[in-house]
Amino acid sequence: MKNLLQKSLKQLTVFAFIVFALSIPSYFLLVDWIWLKELDENNELIAQRIENEFNEQHISDEKLAQSIQFWNEIQPVSKIEFIHRPLSKDSQYTVMRQNPYSKKEAIDRFRGLKTNIKINGQNYSLVVETNVEETEETVAYIAMVTLLFFLILVVGFWILNRRLSKKLWQPFQNTLQKLKSFQLNSQKQIQFQDTDTIEFAELNATLDKLLQHSIITYKNQKEFTENASHELQTPLAILKNKLDILLQSDDLTERQYHIAEEMNKALIRSSRINKNLLLLAKIENSQFDNSELIRFDTIVLQSMDALQEHFKEKKIDVSAEIYSNVEVKGNGSLTEVLINNLLINAIRHTSPGGSIRIILSKSGFEVSNSGEQSLNADLLFKRFSRMSADNRGSGLGLSIVQEICKLQRWTVKYNFEHNEHTFSVTF
Amino acid sequence: MKILIIEDEKELALSISEYLSKESYLCEVASTFTEAVRKIEVFDYDCILLDITLPDGNGLKILEELKKENKQDGVIIISARNSLDDKIKGLQIGADDYLTKPFHLSELTARMYSLIRRRQFNNSNIVRQGELEIDLLAKTVSVNKTMVALTKKEFGLLIYFIGNKNRVISKSTLAEHLSGDFVDMLDNHDFVYAHVKNLKKKLNEAGCEQFLKTVYGTGYKWEG
Repeated sequence: MKNLLQKSLKQLTVFAFIVFALSIPSYFLLVDWIWLKELDENNELIAQRIENEFNEQHISDEKLAQSIQFWNEIQPVSKIEFIHRPLSKDSQYTVMRQNPYSKKEAIDRFRGLKTNIKINGQNYSLVVETNVEETEETVAYIAMVTLLFFLILVVGFWILNRRLSKKLWQPFQNTLQKLKSFQLNSQKQIQFQDTDTIEFAELNATLDKLLQHSIITYKNQKEFTENASHELQTPLAILKNKLDILLQSDDLTERQYHIAEEMNKALIRSSRINKNLLLLAKIENSQFDNSELIRFDTIVLQSMDALQEHFKEKKIDVSAEIYSNVEVKGNGSLTEVLINNLLINAIRHTSPGGSIRIILSKSGFEVSNSGEQSLNADLLFKRFSRMSADNRGSGLGLSIVQEICKLQRWTVKYNFEHNEHTFSVTF
Repeated sequence: MKILIIEDEKELALSISEYLSKESYLCEVASTFTEAVRKIEVFDYDCILLDITLPDGNGLKILEELKKENKQDGVIIISARNSLDDKIKGLQIGADDYLTKPFHLSELTARMYSLIRRRQFNNSNIVRQGELEIDLLAKTVSVNKTMVALTKKEFGLLIYFIGNKNRVISKSTLAEHLSGDFVDMLDNHDFVYAHVKNLKKKLNEAGCEQFLKTVYGTGYKWEG
């Protein structure tokens, strides 16, 4: 992952490189064109000067022929030749050849002009050649300068970038930091920093709206949960109390007593389902603070102690490896529910005389119980999906375990191996 | 003993007062916040049952009022809200106990019994029935002056029975009482039988008359 400015820096650098690279031939063509144009002018001037200088001498034709011969010997870059008919037009050309003034072998570029001159009324052709800088050299010089500017640009970008990311993005970083530390269940409104950047101001305003909406929704949901609880618990309480009174009737028959007892059992179940549904709703609405520091081992031992009689009742052989001083971050009462649900689940589904193994380490908690066949791990944690014929449970115990794990960012897994069901929670 | 039931649900208030009036309890009912406050100002009660969600006010305010006036009435909060916050808040303000709806009337009676005994007899809180003597403070039981060693659960059961004298308590009700808040996910009620059997056996062996009777096959009744 890269930050935004680094990403744009890369694009900008590539673009700048392309532009600079394209500028090199353009500059070269331009410079070369100027060179040649200037030299052509220069050559014409020289040709004119030669013509004028010869004519001003007013020498005889014989002397002229001698002078021209002499001229041609000492001026190898401008040659004068007698022609009968004047050239139809001047011609300009570029040629690569040995520099006549250089002793070393050096091929140089020359710009030439072939033109007509008239000396003493006779037609002569004059060739003037001037040394021009070579193509490669021009390109090399331009490329060098361009590269230098390119480097300056990239370094500049990089420095600016670092400054900008600190200064320009500061309001954004501030908003991000505030969002990170925001907790819905704390119900505290975020106060975003004022900014004069349109985009960030817009972002903050939108976030503010969103958060306010979330807080209101969350509050409504919490209220609904509480109201639902209240509304359902009251009729359940009335039913329960009426049954208690019914049991006290003097003329109650044993058959009626048993009917009342069955009704009471059904009531216990419905109030339990109601309670568990509410618990699930509350966990899903993250109405629990999960940042307490919990001594996991203490809670496990407490739960085991409370369930001791149920282990005995079913003659279950319990073995435990509890690592001491296991501290985890989470919610105390939810963690208690999680442990209880796993233990009770194990007790309920172990046949009498079976065994339960409880392991707590620094990294996780594991409950295993003896069993015969593997269960469908996908359905296991689903609400109201019953795995056994025993349908007296609320059908929510393991869903609650999963939700608690999700809330506290733990994972829970089911595994069947060597005739043992294992539920393992990893912190 | 005078009891004030502050509860807006008429049927619930009716059931509670019907169940309680069989004992020596005198029950009054207040179904609104205003009515409750008016009654509290004028009378003293041994125990107040307080529902905190009332149509015209929060029950916790009544509790605050009581404590402000330094009244000695015992208070048991009965609430449909099982939220930990309310529980802690209620107990902090000065409630003596907290019961979550739905509850059994026998559970309520047992708690009221303990609460009233605790408040009325501060120094020696001893319940006697024939040769049986129960010290509620020291949590000891003796028969003919000989101590009987009971487990915590057995002692709890005994108080439960004593607090619900001459009433039929069903096995499932006892199971809910014994398993407390969290183990109510277990549906096997056989463990109740084991606890009751042990209690009976210990009292019997110490030479105590059999006050605890089995009724309708699976129910219990403490006679006295």
